[in-house]
Amino acid sequence: MIAERLQKYLVIGFVVLFFVYLFGPLIVMGITAFNTSAFPRMSPWDCFTAEWFDVLMQDARLMTGLRNSVFIGLGVVALAVPIGLAGALVLMQARPRIRPWYYTITIAPILVPGVVLGISTLLFWDRVGLLLGMGVDSIFYNGVFLTIVGQATFISAYTMLIFIARLQRFDPVLEEAALDLGASHVQAFRKVLLPFLKPAIGSAAVLAFLASFENYNTTIFTIVQSSTLTTVLASKVRYGIDPSISALAVTIVIITLVGAVMYEISQRRQARKEKAQQAVARGELKSMTKQRSFFAEPAFIMSALIVFAGLGIVYFAGTIGVDECKAIVKAEKQAQIKLRVERRQQKAMFERTAEQIGAEQPDQEDVQDEEKVKAKGTEGYEGIFAPQNLQEQAGDSGVEEEKVKAKGTEGYEGIFAPENLQDQSGSNQ
Amino acid sequence: MSADVRLEDVWIRFGDFIAAREINIHIQGGEFFTILGPSGCGKTTLLRAVSGFLTPSEGNVLIGGTNMAGIGPNKRPTALIFQNLALFPLMTIWENITFSLEVRGASKQERRNRAEELLELIALPGQGEKMVNELSGGQKQRVAIARALCAEPEVLLLDEPLSALDLKLRQHMRTELRSIQRQVGITFIYITHDQGEALTMSDNVAVMREGVVEQISDGNSIYDEPDTAFVASFVGENNRFDGKVSSVSDGIATVDTAEGTIKARLSANTDSRVSAGDDAFVFVRPEAIQFVNGTAADNRMNTKVYHEEFEGHFWQIFLDIEKSQKRIKMSYVNDGATRVHSRGAELAIGFPAQSAIALPQGALAAE
Amino acid sequence: MVSYWKNFFLKNGTAVALFLIISVGVWLFMMIILPQLFMLDFSIRANVPPPKFGTEEHYYTLEHYKYMLFGSAQASGTFNIIDLTVFFRTIAAAIFVTLIDLALCYPIAYYLAHVAIGGWSRLMVLSLIVPFWVNEILRAFAFKIIFGSTGVINNVLIAVGVLDSPYDFIRNDIALWAGLSYAFILLMIFPIYNAVESLDKNQIEAARDLGSSWLRIHWRIVVPHAKPGISSGCTMVFMLTAGALAAPQILGGPSSLWFTQIIYQGFNQAGNWARGSAYAIILLISCIVLVLVIMKIFKVRFGEMMK
Ligand SMILES: Nc1ncnc2c1ncn2[C@@H]1O[C@H](COP(=O)(O)OP(=O)(O)O)[C@@H](O)[C@H]1O
Ligand SMILES: [Mg+2]
Repeated sequence: MIAERLQKYLVIGFVVLFFVYLFGPLIVMGITAFNTSAFPRMSPWDCFTAEWFDVLMQDARLMTGLRNSVFIGLGVVALAVPIGLAGALVLMQARPRIRPWYYTITIAPILVPGVVLGISTLLFWDRVGLLLGMGVDSIFYNGVFLTIVGQATFISAYTMLIFIARLQRFDPVLEEAALDLGASHVQAFRKVLLPFLKPAIGSAAVLAFLASFENYNTTIFTIVQSSTLTTVLASKVRYGIDPSISALAVTIVIITLVGAVMYEISQRRQARKEKAQQAVARGELKSMTKQRSFFAEPAFIMSALIVFAGLGIVYFAGTIGVDECKAIVKAEKQAQIKLRVERRQQKAMFERTAEQIGAEQPDQEDVQDEEKVKAKGTEGYEGIFAPQNLQEQAGDSGVEEEKVKAKGTEGYEGIFAPENLQDQSGSNQ
Repeated sequence: MSADVRLEDVWIRFGDFIAAREINIHIQGGEFFTILGPSGCGKTTLLRAVSGFLTPSEGNVLIGGTNMAGIGPNKRPTALIFQNLALFPLMTIWENITFSLEVRGASKQERRNRAEELLELIALPGQGEKMVNELSGGQKQRVAIARALCAEPEVLLLDEPLSALDLKLRQHMRTELRSIQRQVGITFIYITHDQGEALTMSDNVAVMREGVVEQISDGNSIYDEPDTAFVASFVGENNRFDGKVSSVSDGIATVDTAEGTIKARLSANTDSRVSAGDDAFVFVRPEAIQFVNGTAADNRMNTKVYHEEFEGHFWQIFLDIEKSQKRIKMSYVNDGATRVHSRGAELAIGFPAQSAIALPQGALAAE
Repeated sequence: MVSYWKNFFLKNGTAVALFLIISVGVWLFMMIILPQLFMLDFSIRANVPPPKFGTEEHYYTLEHYKYMLFGSAQASGTFNIIDLTVFFRTIAAAIFVTLIDLALCYPIAYYLAHVAIGGWSRLMVLSLIVPFWVNEILRAFAFKIIFGSTGVINNVLIAVGVLDSPYDFIRNDIALWAGLSYAFILLMIFPIYNAVESLDKNQIEAARDLGSSWLRIHWRIVVPHAKPGISSGCTMVFMLTAGALAAPQILGGPSSLWFTQIIYQGFNQAGNWARGSAYAIILLISCIVLVLVIMKIFKVRFGEMMK
């Protein structure tokens, strides 16, 4: 009895821990988006602010990347949805002996590392361009084109899986019925099969867009001179981090949440409708009552209200009183620093009187450094890894490990390395 | 408008498997023609060859005198009612019914008017706006018929359309189908494995077995004058005796069986007559068997009652023949006088030679 | 064969058949098969700049594969320890991450499918999707934040008194492990969840009724039933982890390169596309071989796995 209860608590504890693991990092990241601290952190808490969202909007590189990402996403949808549809339809008709081979080859791109897909796409179109005698300014060397094609290679496999799942519930006799009633093949396809696949086309388009939007591994090779949101993000994150990235994450999470809620609502509506239809068929209900519009669903209104209220609160709370708060925090910090400086000076004075050696100079420097760092927007020790990241970019893999080790021994001093500071300021622009 | 349908030497093969073998059928225009056979015998396959979903490996399909080779299903003057109806689930009832007009580019007004007419015909007036899964089974059935009729086919093909309905509805739909057919006057080719349906509705019936047509004739002849042992045992109930013909005279065969010597008439069809020395089956319908009380009768046998069932307007008795322990079945009309037979009671039965038929064993010999 | 195509056109109609053939043809050949073959071809040729492609100097050679094993020609006789170490460490790490995810996800999937109640379980399953759509880089970024020296974890540990100075999670690869396990965890949980969910609850109850212990129920009933889901989850997590690039770039400590990073360097810094291709092929083939071997050992077939 006790053992059973204990087991139950253990299980629940495990589940809770799992969800903490799943959502904890996102929540922490979300919270850091609202802290004025230039390094994304939760504690110590400085001031509540929405300014990082402004920083985000004004980041030209990020916005260019975003625009490219959206364009590429739409391109991938336009390519991967028809290909996935055709792939699924062909699978249904393939001869039994060919089917497993066909299936394996078409599904393989999902499992092939994205890096490999990116490289092969790049090389292939490079050669095609060369064979056709096209210049470097032709489409075959265009990062956006290459990225669309490279991503569509594996995203088409995703969409194909969606279509296969839907097609398995399609009764092919329906198509025959349409033909029998005089429809041409195209009419049967358009009027019977496509309407049936409509929900799957919707899901496939959404999935294709999202998968394209978040892709990095393939894109980093195919994008060439251009950039997407993820490549910009990756370079930002690798060379230094600031809370505007958290702000971006918050935006994405909110959009996802809204999407998930809407999806759930539409699922429930569908289920309700089907239930009512069955009741009508059994004669329990006279006729279908008209469903209220999607936007009049209580769940939709509720979630819309919550989102708007949240945004409003964040906006006002973020703009009102930030400056005062910042001033206070700054004053506090300065007071602390002053205190520390004074203490050190006192200590130094004691030491001087004791040993008669002047030690004031280095202390002064120390303080200056600390302030400089703060002004540049880093705090804490995170920056130490940036130089190594840079190295990793520059060096050959062979030598690099050694170098990195050498650097690493320097430990925390790294924050004061000049490259590091430049790096930080660079990414904040 | 109705057209006649002619199948000439049709063979259909799937690889090595022969689904239809040398089929010759001529169906008159305006006829209600049924193809009857056990499941898997090739009925659907044959129907698909008529509707154009399948090209016969050999032979021709002619509709209204025109050879249909190379003409696709959407160009043939046929409409098919599928075994599972195949109504379009995402369209309303009226859209379903007038789909054939839609693909021809008819105006919406025209389609709506036609839909309303057809909804009248199938007794679902004003229900056009409903979706397919808001209908009950019988209603769906009728919508499928209306949809097919809307295409104004000259031949309507029906593939076991009633098999999904419950018993009561099935019997109701039989009459309804028959009356619709009379009303529209087109050729119906109806497929079923249910002999009751075949016998009640059709002008003519073809009985199929494993890709072969065994007999074509009207319902009465199929029941009373089976050409083959398969037809005799598949259509209606029959008691079967296995034996060898010892002599034939005056249209009566004498057959030696384990149950004794049985006298039975020969088939009306000269092709299926037995002669002395042949292995033969003798078939006797349960209702042809009579009680004999001391008086001499043809084909007399002593039996013991095994079991008795009351079916309302008639009784059924299962009897074990004393000589061979073979169990047979007889039935007799409930005339009000209670005649309860207890198990093990001894009963003498017999049947006239004219009510029994002797047929060559044919394909059933091995069983 | 001819009749098959004739039938294909008859069955679909010319327009639809053309659409099918062109779409699938472009996908299969222009996007999947030929690019891989070109990459293979590229990897077994000398590294020359594009203008010299196809000339004498672009001869066939296995030097790039040899380089992976032995390093540059001068240092012949010894193994290319650096690249080989990175390669094997990547594979081993990917296996390790896969096992961690399996251990985490199996109980959760079972819990969501058979223990949690109706609406609550549906909500949890739905909520799983949210982190999945936050992109890989942001996920890694989140781990960089929480594992930083002033991150939440260090702050908590110091406040509680476990540590007295910040522990360097990033240098010690702990952030990387956590981040990688996190990155593809949902590709483990959903296939298992789907497989476990389709198990008839009565089977579990019957086994319990017959006096089976929980451990045995899982071992004899649930796991065999969920095997396709488990193998599909493991395959995907393994392949994606071995091929991951963003998380190691962002969370990798100074001494832990990922094999994909070496490939990336081959392209971007070293400018040696041929060697990069060779390494990409090595990664691809070794991953596939490993997955096939393991599938063979556990007797799962590809077809039933990818459902
Ligand atoms: N496309 C096909 N390929 C191979 N065999 C088939 C095909 N269609 C039907 N058959 C076979 O032909 C026989 C007749 O089938 P069918 O016409 O559907 O029988 P039923 O009389 O029950 O309608 C069956 O044995 C079936 O297995
Ligand atoms: Mg059939």
